[in-house]
Amino acid sequence: MKKSYRKWLIIASSLLCLSLLLFLIYSIQTQKEKKVVHMVYIPKLIDETNDFWTALIEGANMAAKDYDIDLVIDGGSNETDYEDQNRRIQKAIDSKADVIAVSPISYTNSTEMVKKVKESGIKLIFVDSGVDEDVADALIATDNFAAGMKMGKFMQQSLNEDSQIAIVSHVKDASTAIDRERGLRAGIGPYEDQIVEVVYCDSNYQKAYRLTKELLEKYPDLDYIAGLNEYSAVGAARAVDEIQGGASQRVKVIGFDNSLEQIKFLEKGVFQAIVVQKSFNMGYLAVETALKVLKGEKVPPVIDSGSELITKDNMYTEQNQKLLFPFFDK
Amino acid sequence: MSDEKGKWRLKFNPLFHFRSIRTTMLVSFSALIVSGLLVFLLLSLNYTTDTVLNNSSSYTLQLIDQVNADIDSYISYMDNLSDMMVGSVDVRNYLFRYNSGENKEAITQRLLNTFKTLKDSREDIYNIGIISNNGEYLINDGTDSLNAYMDYHEMDWYQKALLSGKEAVISSSHVQNVVQNDYKWVVTLSRGLVNPVNNQIEGVFFVDLNYSSINDLCEKISLGSKGYIFVVEENGGIVYHPQQHLLYSGLKTERVDEVRNSKTNSFITDEGDNSKLYTISKSDRTHWTVVGVAYLEDLLGNRKETQLTYVLIAAALFVAAVLIAILLSSMITKPIKALVKSMKKVEQGQFENVTLQTVGHNEISALTNSFNIMTEEIHHLMIQNMEEQEQKRKSELMALQSQINPHFLYNTLDSIIWMAEGGKNREVVLMTSSLAKLLRQSISNEDEIVTIASEVEYTRSYLTIQKMRYQDRLEFSIDVDPDILDLKIVKLVLQPLVENAIYHGIKYKETKGMIWVTGRNLGSIIVIRVEDNGIGMTEEQLAHIFEKKTSRKSNGVGAGNVNKRLRLYYGPEYGLTYESQLNVGTTVTIRIPNSAWEEENEEEL
Repeated sequence: MKKSYRKWLIIASSLLCLSLLLFLIYSIQTQKEKKVVHMVYIPKLIDETNDFWTALIEGANMAAKDYDIDLVIDGGSNETDYEDQNRRIQKAIDSKADVIAVSPISYTNSTEMVKKVKESGIKLIFVDSGVDEDVADALIATDNFAAGMKMGKFMQQSLNEDSQIAIVSHVKDASTAIDRERGLRAGIGPYEDQIVEVVYCDSNYQKAYRLTKELLEKYPDLDYIAGLNEYSAVGAARAVDEIQGGASQRVKVIGFDNSLEQIKFLEKGVFQAIVVQKSFNMGYLAVETALKVLKGEKVPPVIDSGSELITKDNMYTEQNQKLLFPFFDK
Repeated sequence: MSDEKGKWRLKFNPLFHFRSIRTTMLVSFSALIVSGLLVFLLLSLNYTTDTVLNNSSSYTLQLIDQVNADIDSYISYMDNLSDMMVGSVDVRNYLFRYNSGENKEAITQRLLNTFKTLKDSREDIYNIGIISNNGEYLINDGTDSLNAYMDYHEMDWYQKALLSGKEAVISSSHVQNVVQNDYKWVVTLSRGLVNPVNNQIEGVFFVDLNYSSINDLCEKISLGSKGYIFVVEENGGIVYHPQQHLLYSGLKTERVDEVRNSKTNSFITDEGDNSKLYTISKSDRTHWTVVGVAYLEDLLGNRKETQLTYVLIAAALFVAAVLIAILLSSMITKPIKALVKSMKKVEQGQFENVTLQTVGHNEISALTNSFNIMTEEIHHLMIQNMEEQEQKRKSELMALQSQINPHFLYNTLDSIIWMAEGGKNREVVLMTSSLAKLLRQSISNEDEIVTIASEVEYTRSYLTIQKMRYQDRLEFSIDVDPDILDLKIVKLVLQPLVENAIYHGIKYKETKGMIWVTGRNLGSIIVIRVEDNGIGMTEEQLAHIFEKKTSRKSNGVGAGNVNKRLRLYYGPEYGLTYESQLNVGTTVTIRIPNSAWEEENEEEL
């Protein structure tokens, strides 16, 4: 009699244990699911007037919402102050982020700092540009060589043996500047030797404007000026529009990025074309890739977010106007 | 051994051949309960899912119908404006100089006032203006100029308005670049204006609805944490989508075609964890389709908790049901087990304390009752049988005992006559007295057990007679320890052995035969030996010594009978043992327990 009671007890308790175990497993799983990924993105700068960075951050935020992660955007206001950016990277490391995405300001001076990220066991994603060492888990950027090539090929159509070409670049040792210039040189092919000068504006409208003016004085027969980022392109366009403006414009300008001012210059005909980066996609892909890296999925080391060459004729197509005019402005 | 084997086999029988009814019942009950619970679980979970989806679907439909209605109301409002403008004399006069009699300044002022009133009344109107083929225009507060670098004649909304006659045209979302230095995402309603001079459409009225109002309208609708709304125009172009960028660059796709082809107002996509509920609302006014997309994960967010609750309830029910099954099964199997236990006892021949108590009036108690009656009956019959057997044995023995072989009697009497005639009085007296003793002993004592002394005396009388009959051919000696003479022995065991020795051993011997009867006390046992030097036996004869020989002329009490009775009485370890050698002699040994010794030892113990 006693023995059979014990038997029931054993059966009943083992069943209870089983259900408890199931419950435990379940709650552990839900706990796991609830763990939110903490990600920090440090752009080169945060500038409300800069469509490129604004769209990029917008894209990143959209992905963060899509994937339910905790994304902190932390950037300075000066695209050349790498020391300030390095301090922000250190802050992100201290905040024990799961993954840090950086758009390094300097190709060389940011290297030591981003290495620290990896050394702290934090996943590292480069967005828009990288550094001189291969340290990141992935780089999401416009394929700047390809974008430069698009510029070069478009320019080539209106070049001849006598054409003189000048390049207004942005920051001398930034990887984007280096790659775009290389792409452009490859794109114009046989006319590469006719590039008379490359100047650097340090991502400053005024400096770009001033340098272009100097170029126009120095080379009166200049045929083509290529601005390799928004600041270079706008500064160049301003100078050309001011000096040669309107119907008498002799020098052709090709630009990079899509600020409102650039769009006006495109409508006006100062720019022959502009190459637009898909910055919204870049931001979105950065977050998406960061999550893949965290999950341990294999990702290609370099992911191209794409670029588009836009001329006056195709600027108002359904797709291109979306690229040119992001509507997060209020 | 065979029992062990049986257990072993039962233990390792295949699945569902359990050792006991109880286990079988338990397992089958549990299986039944589990399957029942599973069905219940699946049904209820499904039911919840369906209910949640239906509710969500109708809720989403309400929301997006509202969005559609809001958009319609914007458009209707703008359409009403266009009605007003189309009919306006000032518009005609301004654009086409129809009635040049009036001061242009005054007309312009009136129009600007109208524009201002309209714009002030609605915040979502971004641009309002009129424009003609020949370049006359008036936009907003009159200070805005046309975009010098882009030709408005080429613009979509302008061309469509000219082409569509008097109907208003609604554009998709686009960037309005008609005004200098102004690029705004808007939805444009445009309508052709007729030049009264030639009755041709040569101008356009347009009003731009700020796109952000539609954006806000769609954004503020919350469909779970990840759900969203998008708007598609008639030809499939996207008016609003939160991820338009990603769609254009192919990073994401939207089920625009599925939405446009859908006959129902909702459908569910099958994408695993990312399955979505699409709810569709079409507007007859704008011909736009507003689509609400909700993630099932969001909608069924608390489904996991519900599932857990269901699973826990099911587990609790299962435990309870198993406990009840255990109780029930043991209630049924307990009396059966008791019955089995009792039966085992009966099997082993134990009839004491096997009667079982019955509870209730079910089949098992009926079975128990029958069992009780049956065992009692069997017990009774066995006792009766044993008594009968005993009786039979006794009477058999008595019959045997009372039978003295008539030939032996005749021969003896003949011998007596011969001796009497020969005047051998002393011998006659001895023989007659021996015969008398023999006869007296055989009829007088009815007891089965006699003293060894009595048995020895009986044998002595028999031997005396036989010795006299066989003259000098037979000699005997009896030597029994005096301390065993008073001990008891089964009656009529010694004389038949002696008789056998004479008739089967001595009788066929040429020379004088000798019989030795010895009785010895060996402590725990008593050994009585009858030894002869007769012809002995072959091994074969010796092997069959205890078999019944009906043809015998003796009084019928053979060695087999003696042995049987000894064993019956004292147990299988006692009885007769024969040793014989052909032409040398035979020795038969009676072994019986020493009752005196047993008593002594018991006392010592």
